[in-house]
Amino acid sequence: MGKDASAVKVDVRNLTKCFGDLRVLDNLSFQIQKGEFVCVVGPTGCGKTTFLNCLTRIYEPTEGNLYIDGEPTDPKKHSLARVFQEPSAIPWLSVRDNLEFGLKIKRYPTAEIQKRVEMIIELMGLKDMQKKYPKELSVSALQRVIIGRAFAMQPDLLLMDEPYGQMDIKMRFYLEDEVLRLWRELQSTVVFITHNIEEAVYLAERVLILTNKPASIKEEVYIDLPHPRDVTQHRFIEYRNYITDKIKWWE
Amino acid sequence: MYNSYLSKSKGYKICMILLSVLSVGLLIGSYVWVSGRNAVLLPSVGQIWARCVKLFVNPIKGVNLLAHVWASLRRVLLALLFSWTAGVVFGILIGWSKTLNAIFGSIFELFRPIPPIAWIPIVIMWFGIGEFPKILIVIIGSIVPVVVNTRAGVSLVEQQYVDVGTVFGADNRQMLSNIIMPVALPSIFAGLRTSVSSGWTVVLAAEMLGADHGVGALVTRGWNASDMALVLVSIIVIAIIGALLSVGLSLAEKVVCPWNQ
Repeated sequence: MGKDASAVKVDVRNLTKCFGDLRVLDNLSFQIQKGEFVCVVGPTGCGKTTFLNCLTRIYEPTEGNLYIDGEPTDPKKHSLARVFQEPSAIPWLSVRDNLEFGLKIKRYPTAEIQKRVEMIIELMGLKDMQKKYPKELSVSALQRVIIGRAFAMQPDLLLMDEPYGQMDIKMRFYLEDEVLRLWRELQSTVVFITHNIEEAVYLAERVLILTNKPASIKEEVYIDLPHPRDVTQHRFIEYRNYITDKIKWWE
Repeated sequence: MYNSYLSKSKGYKICMILLSVLSVGLLIGSYVWVSGRNAVLLPSVGQIWARCVKLFVNPIKGVNLLAHVWASLRRVLLALLFSWTAGVVFGILIGWSKTLNAIFGSIFELFRPIPPIAWIPIVIMWFGIGEFPKILIVIIGSIVPVVVNTRAGVSLVEQQYVDVGTVFGADNRQMLSNIIMPVALPSIFAGLRTSVSSGWTVVLAAEMLGADHGVGALVTRGWNASDMALVLVSIIVIAIIGALLSVGLSLAEKVVCPWNQ
């Protein structure tokens, strides 16, 4: 939507991932533009997380490859950040140290680290808890720390793996708006995995619908609605119902 | 949740301190009562104190009690310096690498069950009865818990945190210092605490078999001369030093692992 077609950020070419005889990803090919917000939806257990694990090189692809800015993905070279499905705040680091974690790994100058972390603490409302340890925080505060840690990287590519799966509905809406705000302000490229179709339609510029395992792309849907979106609006509901119909692999 | 609430309440803490004081008080009271009935087998508190003072007035083998304590402590500290360094490095290597664990871990498992005191004859035959063999025996006795706990701590690292490091592009050195070591530290400290008590036990055994100076030598001297007060002075000193080392390590752990409190 209005993106420069030449600025391809992520290029997935013929990606296949097998675990022994089990084929999880089957010849996936697609591109994500720079600055785009893409949601990936599909049946539970279809291989969405495996796709992110390949993209972040936690798993090596069986066939095909993934490219960021035209080069094979390498977390050491590319600026990636990921929000994991499970709470992944590092328990032995304070909130502030958690936010600094990725920046220190990438060896940013101290002044830059402080500047970015201050900004994230301000944006995410973490000022009063920056010296606390994760075990002292509520689930929603923890998730804000993890999202903040990812955005502090100002990553070229931000990967979010069902980050709001464990949230109540109020906190989910609040954090969805937060992610949209951070995405706009920092102009990151976001790949957001969810099984919540309403969430996908609320957030995404484009939704990729995966088939059941072995996953391939069934369809891509451009969500042509301005942000902020109204979940009760007629066209919103139309998009939601359309994607819901497409996801039913048994039909 | 219920336990953590209880442990935070002030009344509970005071109650726990009172219980500790009461139990130590009962032990001392029982001792005074028993020693009053058979002073030969169990000298009174006054006799023990007098024997302690005498150690400064009439030193044994030319040195006073503090010098004997220092002789033992120096052996333990030198041995611990080596066994902590080598034990932590070795534990990390076999805990992290399946290949190294297959090669060296199995050899370690063969030697691990051998009581350190069983090495004393071999070490004396190979290296004589000087300082080095005593320190070597303490190393053998204290390195095992360090290796075992470090290996266990490293293998406790959850894949999720390794994945966090991978995604942010951590190299091997960063993975070790930022992910593996912090996870393993509480286990490593548990190993260090055990190693202090094993080292302290083994140094006494080594000294009792042949040493001029050291707390173990005092125990043997008291035993041979049926000087029960001297044996008890030595035992009390051993307990005090052991407790101080343990408290020191606990404080160090609080500083190094503040998230674990």
